[in-house]
Amino acid sequence: MKGALELLQRVSAHADACCWYVAWNPAGTLLASCGGDRAIRIWGKEGDSWECKSVLADGHQRTVRKVAWSPCGKYLASASFDATTCIWKKTNDDFESLTVLEGHENEVKCVAWAPSGNLLATCSRDKSVWIWEVDEEDEYECVSVVNSHTQDVKHVVWHPTQELLASASYDNKVCIYKEEDDDWECRATLEGHESTVWSLAFDREGRRLASCSDDRTVKIWKESTPGDGESVRISKHLLCSTDESWKCVCTLSGFHGRAVYDVAWCRLTGALATACGDDGVRVFREDPTADPEQPVFFMSAHVPKAHGQDVNCVSWNPKEAGLLATCSDNGEFAIWKYSSDS
Amino acid sequence: MAFVSDGDDLFDSIIMADDRFRDEGYQEGFEEGTRQGTFEGRNHGLLHGAKLGAEVSFYYGFALAWKCLLQNSSDVKARKRLKAMESLIGVIQNFPYEDPQYEKLQEDMERVRAKFRQVCSLLNVATDFKEYVRGSTGMSF
Repeated sequence: MKGALELLQRVSAHADACCWYVAWNPAGTLLASCGGDRAIRIWGKEGDSWECKSVLADGHQRTVRKVAWSPCGKYLASASFDATTCIWKKTNDDFESLTVLEGHENEVKCVAWAPSGNLLATCSRDKSVWIWEVDEEDEYECVSVVNSHTQDVKHVVWHPTQELLASASYDNKVCIYKEEDDDWECRATLEGHESTVWSLAFDREGRRLASCSDDRTVKIWKESTPGDGESVRISKHLLCSTDESWKCVCTLSGFHGRAVYDVAWCRLTGALATACGDDGVRVFREDPTADPEQPVFFMSAHVPKAHGQDVNCVSWNPKEAGLLATCSDNGEFAIWKYSSDS
Repeated sequence: MAFVSDGDDLFDSIIMADDRFRDEGYQEGFEEGTRQGTFEGRNHGLLHGAKLGAEVSFYYGFALAWKCLLQNSSDVKARKRLKAMESLIGVIQNFPYEDPQYEKLQEDMERVRAKFRQVCSLLNVATDFKEYVRGSTGMSF
């Protein structure tokens, strides 16, 4: 399944600063970008090119590290180094700041909406993960604070179908959280990476989790549910009381020259894209003939100098298969078309 | 001191003098070190325990005070806050004060701190009670 990445457009989005993150809205029609210039920009397609539709400039006092669209597409959340998370509401053609979530002691590194739209998760350099609940009146309330990591938490991501949260940290571990008695707690810790885990991505059904790290590898983790032979053997041996256990079923090593900063798993095609500190963007496909318990991924496409500097983020369009957005430390983002002969 | 037999004891005590003095010196040093260590350890435990105790009792007092304030309110929001407050009180009350070697000490302390932060967020209370300033002027990624 040899593939190719074709560059469609390159946009200088955040002048004189890093472009840290790009996120497609659920309809796949808008792209939000954020950066070191403390601004968020919303881009839409006009004809054949992507143009800036809005600039949200006064929301934060420091770098905006990540942005996330709500599942309904009407809200945008932004996580900033100024220790706050801003919630924006889309009104016709513009966005207005609805509320500012405070509480973290320092830089907020990530914000993510649960698929239900009622929950929001944030994580920070203060080593904690916060879960917020939003009610019908757009009021946000902190439901839980969890301190499972021993270092800076870099990323949080929700499971696509269950109320389950995963976080990645500078402490080389990934934590999985579930709600128990109105409180969220860490149910599993995934160890294996030899350095900071920068990002996470679930596959379409949420049965597998991809993690990427400073150790230049990408790991695929699979949950072994009770009832299948694997976990029965494990539970007998370890006498563990948890229902589920995640184990690493695949490690992609030798492909990336530097730290892998982001990983994205396409919900439409199952392709895995990575953003690397060696300025390259890579797309991996799964070998359909491999044993599901021991998946095999091979590199389908690679653009060695996708950007002039570190690639910070990679994001698949949720509606248009093969459409990929990437962004870099040099302030620009790029739109690519991935195609493969399969 | 080893049993001294007749005959070669004179030469024995000269040849083995080095070893004997080394052993004695080690023994003395070990006992002195144990005494000093116990003394230092006790001080360290006192200080550390006091710090931890002060922190936990601060949260306890805070929670009890707010519980009093919220108890008589019929506001829906106040009920939610009261519930969180009671949860915090619960975690603190289950804390084993008497056992310094409690293996889940760190874990439970983190749980108490996390609960406190959540409660403060619900009450809209700023959490900079301690006077330290956490500077974040360094680089962040």
